[in-house]
Amino acid sequence: MSDMSALAIHVRELGKRFQLEPGRRAHERLEHLLRSPARLWKQRPAAAATWVLRDVSFDLHPSEIVALVGCNGSGKSVLLKIISRVMKPTEGNVTIRGRVASILDVGTGFHPDLTGRENLFLSGVILGMKRVEVARAFDEIVAFAEVEKYLDIPVKRYSSGMKMRLALAVCAQFERDVVLLDEVLAVADEGFQRRYIARVAQVASEGCAVLMVSHDAQAVERLCARAILLDGGRIAANGPSREVFDRYHGLLSAAE
Amino acid sequence: MIQPDAPVTRIGPATGWTPLALREMWERREVLYLLVWRDIKLRYRHTRVGALWALLQPLLSMLMLSLFGRIVGVKSHGLPYPLFAASGLVPWIYFTHALTQASNSLVQNEVLLTKTYFPRIMLPMAAVVSGAADFLVAALLLPFLMLYYHIPPSAHIVALPLFMLLALITALSAGLWLAALNIEYRDLTNALPFLTQLLFFLTPLAYPASMIPPPWRMFAGVNPLTGLVEGFRWALFGGGSPNLLLDVGLSLASVSILLTSGVVVFQRKEERFAEIV
Repeated sequence: MSDMSALAIHVRELGKRFQLEPGRRAHERLEHLLRSPARLWKQRPAAAATWVLRDVSFDLHPSEIVALVGCNGSGKSVLLKIISRVMKPTEGNVTIRGRVASILDVGTGFHPDLTGRENLFLSGVILGMKRVEVARAFDEIVAFAEVEKYLDIPVKRYSSGMKMRLALAVCAQFERDVVLLDEVLAVADEGFQRRYIARVAQVASEGCAVLMVSHDAQAVERLCARAILLDGGRIAANGPSREVFDRYHGLLSAAE
Repeated sequence: MIQPDAPVTRIGPATGWTPLALREMWERREVLYLLVWRDIKLRYRHTRVGALWALLQPLLSMLMLSLFGRIVGVKSHGLPYPLFAASGLVPWIYFTHALTQASNSLVQNEVLLTKTYFPRIMLPMAAVVSGAADFLVAALLLPFLMLYYHIPPSAHIVALPLFMLLALITALSAGLWLAALNIEYRDLTNALPFLTQLLFFLTPLAYPASMIPPPWRMFAGVNPLTGLVEGFRWALFGGGSPNLLLDVGLSLASVSILLTSGVVVFQRKEERFAEIV
């Protein structure tokens, strides 16, 4: 095991079990509750459960960009959600050194009736920035998104491309030690993807550790020296991204 | 580079209990500001009269209640009935609005629950605080009515902000319970209007507390809104019933219990919000 204090992210034996809803209808649930009101306090009984993540262990060093790949339902998003503290694991643990920016969605917190300017502040703060930090980075964000002229009109009047660029630009402002990205690039056009990837490379060169989900091998392979492949909630491969992406493509064609 | 003094986050398995992270709430307080600001900003979008609604709501309710009071012939502590009704309706309208908003706060902000992390308790808090802007506007109705009826304010008026704060805390306390349960039992969204309607009749809003028959008087005090409304009227007009101190004391006691249990239930359920919503 490497020196813990040098790691940005340290994940050990992480597991997440989901209880499958027994599909009861609302009135049945209410009846159930009225029959045993103690359920208000108790967690759900151990119904049918499934492990969506099991025995997941890996490390990330500062300045490393690691791609997280896997088929749909392999547990990528759940893993990012646990590291982002949106969900708690069922077992295992995670240690993160430094401040975290986690972008799990494009345009988190955006409201269509607010202007571009207002949404930038709202989204930035919800994603973990301070208002002064948003203000400081404001011009840069706006230039990155190329929406200068439309800052003071409601976002609902934006084209979907503009909205996406603005949302992604907020996510590009991470003065953070650890950055988690869930497939945010999928919606961007090619030019923007290139600039975004350059931006990720730049923050990593400054010492930031990046863990990013991607389906797009080409866009990410050059950026990430290492990749982690998840299959059925377990780590199937963790190594040089070329090899891992080959395994991944093997999995994909096997599935077809 | 990661600074040697960089914060370290440790994430362990779910324990069935999330401690109330006061320090983290303080560090992320700007989230609360912005959620409140967003709610206030969006409250009256696409309306013609905007924030005037905050004033119209108690005014229209007062007119309806006055008609009812005139027909039934309710006594009103020697005050003109419309003024009496309005003084109860202003905190009442705030309370029901804040409670409803708080109760829906988690469900309505599903995206924030499943895509970002911040102390979840900020969502019901923001709902209750943003409603307070309306409360302040609605309260402006009272000085106008008092001028109209030539009723001078009592010296107790300095205590009014305290009762407004009590209204806020009462709404938050009940709101925490409902918000946490609403995620799993959306039935509450449908049941809530009936609950508030029931509470409307149980609270001395349309009638003075002195009209409650003695054996029931004690129970009325357990309803935290009784002390709230009685206290509100005492602060505005003075006088007040001999039961006032008891009512306010009981109200404080029941709100304390409600708040503590609300926080406990909320924190108990918190770690599953993102999974169930």
